[in-house]
Amino acid sequence: MEAMFTNLGIGFTEVFKLQAVTIAGVSMTLPFNILMCLIGVILGTLIGVLPGIGPVATIAMLLPVTFNLSPIAALIMLAGIYYGAQYGGSTSAILVNLPGESSSVVTCLDGYQMARRGRAGPALATAAIGSFFAGCVATLVVAMFAPPLAEVALKFGPAEYFSLMVLGLVSSVVLASGSLVKAIGMVILGLLLGLAGTDVNSGVLRFSFGLAEMADGIGFFTVAMGMFGIAEIISNLEQKEHREVFTDKVSHLWPTADDFRRIFGPILRGTIFGCCLGILPGGGALLSSFGAYTIEKKISRNSREFGKGAIEGVAAPESANNAGAQTSFIPLLTLGIPSNAVMALMIGAMMIQGIAPGPQVMTERPQLFWGMIASMWVGNLMLVLLNLPMIGVWIKLLTVPYRILYPSILVFMSVGVFSISNQPFDCFLMALFGLFGYVCVKLECEPAPLILGFILGPLMEENLRRAMLLSRGDPFVFISPSKPISLGFLIASALLLIVIALPALRKKRDEAFAGEEHG
Amino acid sequence: MQRLLLLLALAGAVAPAWSQAWPARPLRLVVPYAPGGPVDISARLLAARLQQGLGQPVVPENRPGAGGNIGVDLIAKGPADGYNLVMSAIATLAINPSLYSSLPYDPLKDLRHVTLLVQVPNVLIVRPDLPAKSVPELIALGKSRPGKLDFGSGSTGSTGHLAGEMFKMVTGTYMVHIPYKGSAPALADMMAGRIDLMFDNLASALPSIKSEKVRALAVTTRKRTDFLPGLPTLDESGLKGFDMTTWWGVSVAARTPQPVVDRLSAEILKAMDSPDMRERLRGMGSEPPAIRTPDHFAAFVAAELKTYTGLVRRSGAKVD
Repeated sequence: MEAMFTNLGIGFTEVFKLQAVTIAGVSMTLPFNILMCLIGVILGTLIGVLPGIGPVATIAMLLPVTFNLSPIAALIMLAGIYYGAQYGGSTSAILVNLPGESSSVVTCLDGYQMARRGRAGPALATAAIGSFFAGCVATLVVAMFAPPLAEVALKFGPAEYFSLMVLGLVSSVVLASGSLVKAIGMVILGLLLGLAGTDVNSGVLRFSFGLAEMADGIGFFTVAMGMFGIAEIISNLEQKEHREVFTDKVSHLWPTADDFRRIFGPILRGTIFGCCLGILPGGGALLSSFGAYTIEKKISRNSREFGKGAIEGVAAPESANNAGAQTSFIPLLTLGIPSNAVMALMIGAMMIQGIAPGPQVMTERPQLFWGMIASMWVGNLMLVLLNLPMIGVWIKLLTVPYRILYPSILVFMSVGVFSISNQPFDCFLMALFGLFGYVCVKLECEPAPLILGFILGPLMEENLRRAMLLSRGDPFVFISPSKPISLGFLIASALLLIVIALPALRKKRDEAFAGEEHG
Repeated sequence: MQRLLLLLALAGAVAPAWSQAWPARPLRLVVPYAPGGPVDISARLLAARLQQGLGQPVVPENRPGAGGNIGVDLIAKGPADGYNLVMSAIATLAINPSLYSSLPYDPLKDLRHVTLLVQVPNVLIVRPDLPAKSVPELIALGKSRPGKLDFGSGSTGSTGHLAGEMFKMVTGTYMVHIPYKGSAPALADMMAGRIDLMFDNLASALPSIKSEKVRALAVTTRKRTDFLPGLPTLDESGLKGFDMTTWWGVSVAARTPQPVVDRLSAEILKAMDSPDMRERLRGMGSEPPAIRTPDHFAAFVAAELKTYTGLVRRSGAKVD
């Protein structure tokens, strides 16, 4: 414990260190590292708000710039972009129903509904406060428990991942606020969409219609922006008479005392959930926001409000995804294994700076390791200080007339989708999904379960087939006592299925009884 | 004789004219992968340096898709004016032609290969608790337990997969291929003891080797690597002639004028030889390639294409 405080001391000294730098021929003494952190989080917030242009592309483009910086300054800035984007992603999700980041999909569900009810301010504030709290706690977790948690992450093999995904999929049904059958249908449709592209094992192309553009499958943003963003625009344009003007109803910018009471629990649980799942490479952080939402919806006293603008539905997933973003540094820092594409880039940045990532970084370069952790704290503080005053500005954005706002959103979405692969094909595909999303709105089928199925489908398939390859085709590998984690997840999934099905079954029985009485 | 002299004089007059006129506008460097991978990072490094030498901006442009084929095809079919460059690699030039049943371009006829930029050795690594401590011991283990050992790779048809297939072919062992999406998750499974061995490129495996989370048995190149001088080669370990590297470089459309190719090659070499660029590329596990002329690079591509065509066929991997 004491050692940790000494280490954090080293870290903070490093972050706040004054350095002599020469900018444009003028040499001055500046707290350079902290400036880099600030630049990183501002950039991150911006790209998070803009759909499509994600942290991966941004960090890749900025890599050459960082070569002239010291390793610590470079890594602090790049890390800032990453978690800054998690903050920014929620803004466009809440204001215009556009998930700027994949983990913001869940935030759309209740965040956008809050905005429609004139509560965009409290929703944005909740997202910022939740993210800040989660970021601080998760950074502490990284500082204290990184090595043991990395060992836990290694316990997750293909079988465990598969069972975890099954649990995720079962709980995704809870995401929908409407019909159960429709939700299941959407999940399955999502799974099918996820199958398009190259088969991992054999390399065979599936459902690609002979198009080279489809060889890597359908992009996440293509589906998400179509189903959420474009579908929302179409259904809004349909209403000629009273097109929504959110700002008329804006009552206050800040959460009320009652709001604070309501978000306290969800933030806490979301943080814990995010910290745990964030350490798992491959979609852990993403799953955590879905999972946190599901839990709140099940246990909240206001569960009826979910999907219609429940503040808990913003607090929990936002806390979870930010906590997950921080703890996803653990496998990188302790094992040298990247848990997602951004972390892989961080490894690239370290190697180009001549640092081999891995457990030795902590002992050989304590300034770098602890400096980075300390910078996450400072960065989170900067983000909340930056974002809270920005709320007023964002709300003003909603006063922009629709005839200007909607075309600009469309342009941003197209630019975003195009920027991912530089292919016009993806923009057309997005438009197609927009149309499909509109049909879904009309049929009262919700997009969230589809998106989750779409994300989880390929991961599930990959892990299922890998587990089968490793066990040479033994299906009992998932429930064998030698894999207690996998077994546990599957039991939990079965229980959850029963919990979901029971009310429906009971209702049927009641109807049957009612029928008998009448008869 | 006079005619020859005239020709020579003309050639002399034309060549400088070309090199003075080119480049007159910005160049684009297509990276046929998503941003962030090693090819992308090295392209961005190169672009920044090349820009200084050529006096024109060099703009990296990511055109991912179909294992890199989309981006390479774009340049193969594009104008041969020296303004359109592509990061070509072992995958798009040597492996995909036999992995994909229909490749839209011919890697030898449609492209002019300018400079080999990066050459990274692959290393044979095993999980730390595997009883085999050397390559002969691994072969013996594989033979005593046919079909029991698992070898991981970053993807089907990757150099790691094909190196494993070549290893099986040369040693007569039988092991099961477990494909992953990238080598990071495969490394994690190896640390946890779920897979037994893999051929990974040096850059991604080095941190785990240094921290002894996995054990390196051999390097796949003919010469030992500077990064791990104590590590024997497969060639030394009894697999005579085993030589595999992961490589990438810069190519342009086939009909690009020779003076432009020469100037480009010279500028890329100059950039690569600058101390900071050399240092950065070393950080990615690359030692400066011995191949330094366009013709030598083209011959190298042709030889690699031949090797991998046979290997892919043997491995049975196929993409329609």
